[in-house]
Amino acid sequence: MEDNKKLIEIKDLKVSFFTPAGEVKAVDGISYELGYNEVMGVVGESGSGKSVEAYSIIGLLQNPGKVTGGSITFEGEDLLAYTPEQMRQFRGNKVSMIFQNPMTCLNPVYTIGNQLMEALTVHDDKITKEEARARAIEMLEKVGINNAEKRINQYPHEFSGGMRQRAMIAMALICRPKLLIADEPTTALDVSIQAQILELMKELQKKENTSIIFITHNLGVVAEICDKVSVMYAGRIVEQAGVEELFYNPQHPYTKGLLASQPRLDEEEPERLIPIEGTPIDLLNPPTGCNFGPRCKNCMKICLTKKPPYADLGDGHISACWLHFKDLKGKKEE
Amino acid sequence: MLWYILKRLLASVGTLLVVLAITFFLMNAVPGSPFITEKSTPEQIAAANAKYGLDKPLIVQFKNYLVSYCHGDFGVSLKMQEGTPVTDILFHQGKFQLSIKLGLIALLVAVIIGIPLGCIAAYNRGTWLDGFLRVVTTIGVAIPGFVLATLLLVTFAVKLQWLPTISGSLDSFNVYVMPIVSLSFYYVCYLSKLTRTSMLDAINQDYIRTARAKGVTTKSIVIKHALRNSLIPVITYIGPVIAGIITGSFVVESTFSVPGLGKYFVQSVLARDYTVIMATTFVLSALVIFMNLVVDIAYKIVDPRITLSSRED
Amino acid sequence: MKETFAKISPFQVDPKELEEAFGLDDNSFDAANDIEKESMVEMHKSVSYWADAWRRFKSNHVSMVALGVFIICMLFAFAGPKFVPYNYADQLRNAQKLGPMEYSKQEQQVKLIEGKCKAFYATALRPGSITALEKGDYVIKKGGKTYAFTLDKVAENVIIMYKPVGIEEELVIVRMKDIAKDGSFSEYETIQYTDTAAKGAEQLKLVKNVFPHLFGTDSQGRDSMVRTMFGARVSIIIGIIAALIVLLIGSIYGSISGLAGGPVDFVMMRIVELIYSIPEVLVVLLLQVVLKDPLQAWFDSSKSAFVKGLSDLGAGIVSIFITFALLYWVTMARIVRGQVLQLKKQEYVTAANALGASNGRIIKRHLLPNCVGQLVITTCLQIPSAIFLESFLSFLGMGVSAPMASLGSLCSDALQTISLFPYRLIFPAIILTVIVLSLNLVGDGLRDSLDPRLKK
Repeated sequence: MEDNKKLIEIKDLKVSFFTPAGEVKAVDGISYELGYNEVMGVVGESGSGKSVEAYSIIGLLQNPGKVTGGSITFEGEDLLAYTPEQMRQFRGNKVSMIFQNPMTCLNPVYTIGNQLMEALTVHDDKITKEEARARAIEMLEKVGINNAEKRINQYPHEFSGGMRQRAMIAMALICRPKLLIADEPTTALDVSIQAQILELMKELQKKENTSIIFITHNLGVVAEICDKVSVMYAGRIVEQAGVEELFYNPQHPYTKGLLASQPRLDEEEPERLIPIEGTPIDLLNPPTGCNFGPRCKNCMKICLTKKPPYADLGDGHISACWLHFKDLKGKKEE
Repeated sequence: MLWYILKRLLASVGTLLVVLAITFFLMNAVPGSPFITEKSTPEQIAAANAKYGLDKPLIVQFKNYLVSYCHGDFGVSLKMQEGTPVTDILFHQGKFQLSIKLGLIALLVAVIIGIPLGCIAAYNRGTWLDGFLRVVTTIGVAIPGFVLATLLLVTFAVKLQWLPTISGSLDSFNVYVMPIVSLSFYYVCYLSKLTRTSMLDAINQDYIRTARAKGVTTKSIVIKHALRNSLIPVITYIGPVIAGIITGSFVVESTFSVPGLGKYFVQSVLARDYTVIMATTFVLSALVIFMNLVVDIAYKIVDPRITLSSRED
Repeated sequence: MKETFAKISPFQVDPKELEEAFGLDDNSFDAANDIEKESMVEMHKSVSYWADAWRRFKSNHVSMVALGVFIICMLFAFAGPKFVPYNYADQLRNAQKLGPMEYSKQEQQVKLIEGKCKAFYATALRPGSITALEKGDYVIKKGGKTYAFTLDKVAENVIIMYKPVGIEEELVIVRMKDIAKDGSFSEYETIQYTDTAAKGAEQLKLVKNVFPHLFGTDSQGRDSMVRTMFGARVSIIIGIIAALIVLLIGSIYGSISGLAGGPVDFVMMRIVELIYSIPEVLVVLLLQVVLKDPLQAWFDSSKSAFVKGLSDLGAGIVSIFITFALLYWVTMARIVRGQVLQLKKQEYVTAANALGASNGRIIKRHLLPNCVGQLVITTCLQIPSAIFLESFLSFLGMGVSAPMASLGSLCSDALQTISLFPYRLIFPAIILTVIVLSLNLVGDGLRDSLDPRLKK
């Protein structure tokens, strides 16, 4: 398959925050790959490391965060070896990012047009002002902002939340990046606007042939837009599968819990929502065993002391849980 | 915009009236009168009171003040330069001009040096330069203006004799160096601290992350994105800085014997020269209030989120 | 496709290999019980707000040092005068205009006999214009013994010594002019003493040595160090009381305004805005002059203990307090009102309201405890600004009046003779700067530790 060509490959990435209280392993050895034109969802609760992982791809990790191990390869190039200047050129040009809160992500003192055009001019010295402006208007129209000619001279506070997120998307895609990282782009928006933005992203993804890493805690959004899904818990990927596979055949207890705690519209008799009990672990003092162990209903003795390996369940479906190996015990005795 | 300015002007006139009223009634609450001297008899005092209209009821006196102020007439000095019109004292003897000159230059120095210093400190956060600037500015805001003024005077005018004291000629630029340094030093440090904090605050905002994600250079992030946003809170503090510089001028003018408005005001209060107190208060308050108005308008211009036509503020 | 990370297929893996790689045993896949599950998680101790704030403050070295420096300043100001045998108002004769560590001629002479006897009393060390002992009864208490004696004539420029002669101890009186350059003296008179003090006898305190004038003396012969100590004391007291006044008025006004809301809030905030836009220093200067005389008259006429206390402070200081009470509470009021508005929206206040709690109770039990962090910070930073204002006023000759001293008035006094005696300015100026600096830094540290949201 030509889709098999890898756009980005992450291997055993580790990111730590060095706080005064100690080292926090926000991302503790995650690996995945993403092909061209593919949309991957990264799901997890807050603090699971999903945003940190995205920031380390685009080189936006702030002090005291540091990549402590692993590699990130983008189109065959090692991103971690980039100089700051190379990284800057790379950002916005090949990979761009949109953020959670469109209300605060646009600079309040510059016009939308100014900020859109800036994204172009920082990566292209030759472009004229008129060209940049024309391109900005074109992009604004593409993301469904009417009256773009006039809107381009307005300030962010004159835009509604949904409009600002559209403008953010326009700004992210203006350089035609190969990868778009969307960090909870719909969380801060009204439900009706959320649907519109998702629709827009799906449409633009097809049109512009952009791969997307879609970070969210909302499984419904994932079902809507993604090809495959990684579920993260406490800095690790616990389960990864194609979107259909994950929804209809979840294997990891955490994923099962997540699915059970989300309302589903497709079932005739809505089941009771079941919350996952307990609170996320303290990343300053992670347990020696499985990170999910303390909250897991199926927790076993081995889970207390050993981190589970990834079980390859076929068709790119992997899950990190000892349960998959439980049956082996019986086999051995045979 | 025009509506806003008009509204603010109106409020300013109101404030000015309140200040004048407070000053007037406070002044008259002071026992004693400008005419009491060791030799004066009650008759002489009564005659002098009658001459200057001080025997009338207070409210009538106050009204008279307001009416004559509307005509640009500040009355005549009662004591310090008895009989001389106050307008002459303040404006034709160059006191007002001198103080304004000192104050404005000090303000400019504070802004032109203080804000860039703050930016430099924020930009080099955590380096020795930032540390050094932090130490200097932190100490700077703990040194009272009069201490700095006197130390400068002793060191440069008396001991080293590099700079002249002002009592000499007023023409040479050197004369102004020490008063301006003592007036502005505190505010250079103050604005620099403020700009640094505000800049670091701006740098942590989401829109800076957006700009970084776009691939904007660090330089451009600081100069274009962070600076303008961080200036917004700094501008609101220019108002108090102006008031502070005027306050500081009382001390600095006394220390360096600058024949300006600040020194004269202090002297007139001590001498209970009613008309001079009223006039100086009027001029200085009008200045502060007017500058605050200007600052407010500048604030609205820098921050596009605030629309001038609507009545929200 | 290349293996990107270790994956194990549970369908293909050899159970033995797995067992070896992970050290599995027979019980490995048994269900774990709740206690075992709980033991996996190390929970953080939950710490109270204040303990947490204190921990943060302690880890802030700059603020801790500043706190230490401020405490030293407090000791200097409040305990210091106990160790110096001079008083801020004492004018020492012949000891005017001394430099740091200098002694007057008489003091030098007295110093000569230091060490030659266990303790002595020198009239030259007495403050005031008289360096003589009048005719009359005197008593000295030393080592549990009482020495009472009578002088028949005025004794000028003398030293009374407690001196061992042989095995006997006796009290002798020496004329200063009889003391030779090496401190020896041949002519002295023994004083006849009894051990019962006459009625109304004046007690003389023996000293062991001449205390140096560390900071020198001023033109009136007052010891500069003790004056600086008192000045620092006055400045610190003014700062703290003024800050408390501002805290009290500002928080009451602000919480009433914020709680009442509606037109009351509107009117109250317009008043605040008005006061805020008044160039306050102009009014402050006037107030200083206006208040001084009426206050003095009030002090003189009233007899209550409270007024007596105020009059000890002096009219200048009290009018500074009044100034703060009138003009400087507006910032505090605004902060408190902002906090109250923010808190008012929160559920527990609504709940208290629904339960029928009165407004006063809500202020006391719910709102104030919640904005206490902000209040502490603002109050702490108010202290140095009050000290600044006081020193500014004293410098212009309007604050405290002599012989009382504040750091500002000391600087102001020094200004007249600045070219001859620069150290007279430098000592109080340094103390003033150090106090303000340390308070600023402590305030910054408090802000960082009490309000972690503000910390970057």
